[in-house]
Amino acid sequence: MVYLKMNHVKKSFGSLEVLKDISLQVNQGEVVSIIGPSGSGKSTLLRCATLLETMDCGDLSYLEKSAATIVNNKTVYEKPARLNEIKSIFGLVFQNFNLFPHFTVMKNITDAPIHVQKRKKNEVYQEAKNLLAQMGLSDKEDYYPYQLSGGQQQRVAIARALALKPKVLFFDEPTSALDPELTGEVLKVIKALAETKMTMVIVTHEMEFARNISDRIIFMDKGVIAVQGTPEEVFQSEHTRMQEFLGKLKR
Amino acid sequence: MKKQLLCGVIVVSLAAALLAGCKKEDKDSDNKDGKKTFTVGFDAEYPPYGYMDDNGDYTGFDLELADEVCKLKGWSLKKQPIIWDNKDNELNSGSIDCIWNGFTMNKRENKYTWSDPYVDNSQVIVTKTDSGIKELKDLADKTVGVQAASAALDVLQDKDEQKELADTFKTLQEFADYNTAFVELEAGSVDAIAMDIGVAQYQLNSRGSDKFVILDTHLNTEKYAIGFKKGNAELCKEVNEALHTLKKNGTFDKLAEKYELTDMVCLEE
Amino acid sequence: MSFSVILSSMAEGMERSVGIFFLTLIFSLPLGFLIAFGRMSKNKLLQAIARFYISVLRGTPLMLQLMVVYFAPYYLFGFSIGNWRYPAIIVGFVINYSAYFAEIYRSGIEAIPKGQYEAAGILGYNRIQTFMKIILPQVIKIILPSVTNEIITLVKDTSLAFSLSYMEMFSIAKQIAARETTLMPFAIAALFYYVFNLLVSIIMEWIEKRMNYYR
Repeated sequence: MVYLKMNHVKKSFGSLEVLKDISLQVNQGEVVSIIGPSGSGKSTLLRCATLLETMDCGDLSYLEKSAATIVNNKTVYEKPARLNEIKSIFGLVFQNFNLFPHFTVMKNITDAPIHVQKRKKNEVYQEAKNLLAQMGLSDKEDYYPYQLSGGQQQRVAIARALALKPKVLFFDEPTSALDPELTGEVLKVIKALAETKMTMVIVTHEMEFARNISDRIIFMDKGVIAVQGTPEEVFQSEHTRMQEFLGKLKR
Repeated sequence: MKKQLLCGVIVVSLAAALLAGCKKEDKDSDNKDGKKTFTVGFDAEYPPYGYMDDNGDYTGFDLELADEVCKLKGWSLKKQPIIWDNKDNELNSGSIDCIWNGFTMNKRENKYTWSDPYVDNSQVIVTKTDSGIKELKDLADKTVGVQAASAALDVLQDKDEQKELADTFKTLQEFADYNTAFVELEAGSVDAIAMDIGVAQYQLNSRGSDKFVILDTHLNTEKYAIGFKKGNAELCKEVNEALHTLKKNGTFDKLAEKYELTDMVCLEE
Repeated sequence: MSFSVILSSMAEGMERSVGIFFLTLIFSLPLGFLIAFGRMSKNKLLQAIARFYISVLRGTPLMLQLMVVYFAPYYLFGFSIGNWRYPAIIVGFVINYSAYFAEIYRSGIEAIPKGQYEAAGILGYNRIQTFMKIILPQVIKIILPSVTNEIITLVKDTSLAFSLSYMEMFSIAKQIAARETTLMPFAIAALFYYVFNLLVSIIMEWIEKRMNYYR
């Protein structure tokens, strides 16, 4: 089943064309990494997919439920009620975690399931405890975000996203704001998720990581998808921009 | 728990605030028995005509007189202290029925509807005993204080009265109340104060008549009357008649005696 | 006049000052939010109205505003304003303080990172939930010191009610001073204000401490 489908997505900020006709499809259980130089549009693509930005043009659907369609070359979004329904399908982990500083770790994770999804408290708390155990943070339930390291905060953010039981989970450069020695603990958690066949779309600069966990890699450059395919296909591609990009990273 | 506490605090303070507001209402208008309310506007910082008594209630020659008028007419008296600068706004907008507070009618004849005059007043100059100022001409190049919007100020600004004298002053300093003015006089920042003689006498009695002196030459003589909103002849007439009744039955003179104003009252029978 | 009469008269005046104080806070704190929302609204007209409201009320003296509120019904519409004195004082104080609070709220709301809204949106909170649960608690913590400042100023500003001849504590002090021909009542007035503000500071500090559980 197709979990995410984007067609002919265009987006400009003023005169700057950031996305130039991008189409993309993610299937159930697939792990897709989006890589590329900064300014290539990968974060914007993610923000369009998660409805944080509106597309100038483009189709967007989740699980074959349409969120936006092209009518006369313009995007027409569904009504807010429908969009809210669609929003519950996916989760997003931010570069800067965006935890709520005035909530404890436990409340950060449980508040939305209880007050947005209206689920039973006991059940949600039990699941949250399991998630925290999975993240290796069982002893941090009552901590506030400022008492945690960046890596720990990001793991709480992942738990918070998972608590809503999304079908698709997006990561927007999840390790970019972390000290190098803390990236490992976050990548390990994402890798474990990939092994559970969670459908994920990951924007990242961690090439080795992307190569290891991805079913498919998309290389974006200047607002278009330049190369895509299995990790081997992409990393061995003859595409000059791709070679330049990898070369730069190696240096 | 926290929310309940907060709610509690809000409810209690709301109640306290409303209570404070209501209490004041009760006190100001005890006309629950359907009596007509007669609202007198006065400057509560103007002894002996209107001020606070030993018990913190408002009193004075004028206010006691107003009280007697109300007793006679079966009205209930509301004593409304006002800021002197705002007296015309208060009167015109109907928040007071009259200005009754050592209110000079001279020069203001056409601005209000007046009762018959009841006090002969003079505007005088008060200085420190040791100031060396003995006559009006000694005030040349001195700083003289006067209450804003007062009759004394009018006199000093009127060409036909004492403007010529005022022009010899170094400055004519306006102030809001007599207490401040006397502190300035004692401190030496003003050399003399122009004011009503009745007020001057009260101040001297209270502050020690050896320290201050009233100059023998008065700035003018004038009359006090009760000022009503221009055109309110009906109410004016009622109060006027009551005033004359009080004169006839001796109440008026008894009050004048009480406030040591016998020499000054001028209401004819 | 005995000292005990002076004290009790002034205490009675203080009760009225406290009345102004609480009523002003009760109405101006929420009204400030409405104005702040108007000021930050995408609707250009609402925004312009809120801007004008704030600029006029912050740009003119409170004493003048009190007089306008009190006398306007008569001079503009010819209404008699016999019982309007106390309500006028409260209205005057409330609109003035709401303008100051609105700007404080705005600064607080704008200090919240965009990411907080985005995270709340992704998690499915609706606009009201986002504001009440996520944004507001953080805003309150940010603006508390500025609000404390305004509240302390308000305690002292209550004395401006004298300009509408309302017998709050400072007016009483002036009248006692006139009667007694001394300045002693002002020293007592100073003490009254100081003690009141000391209480306000203690309470606000306590609240600030309660908010210090996170950073």
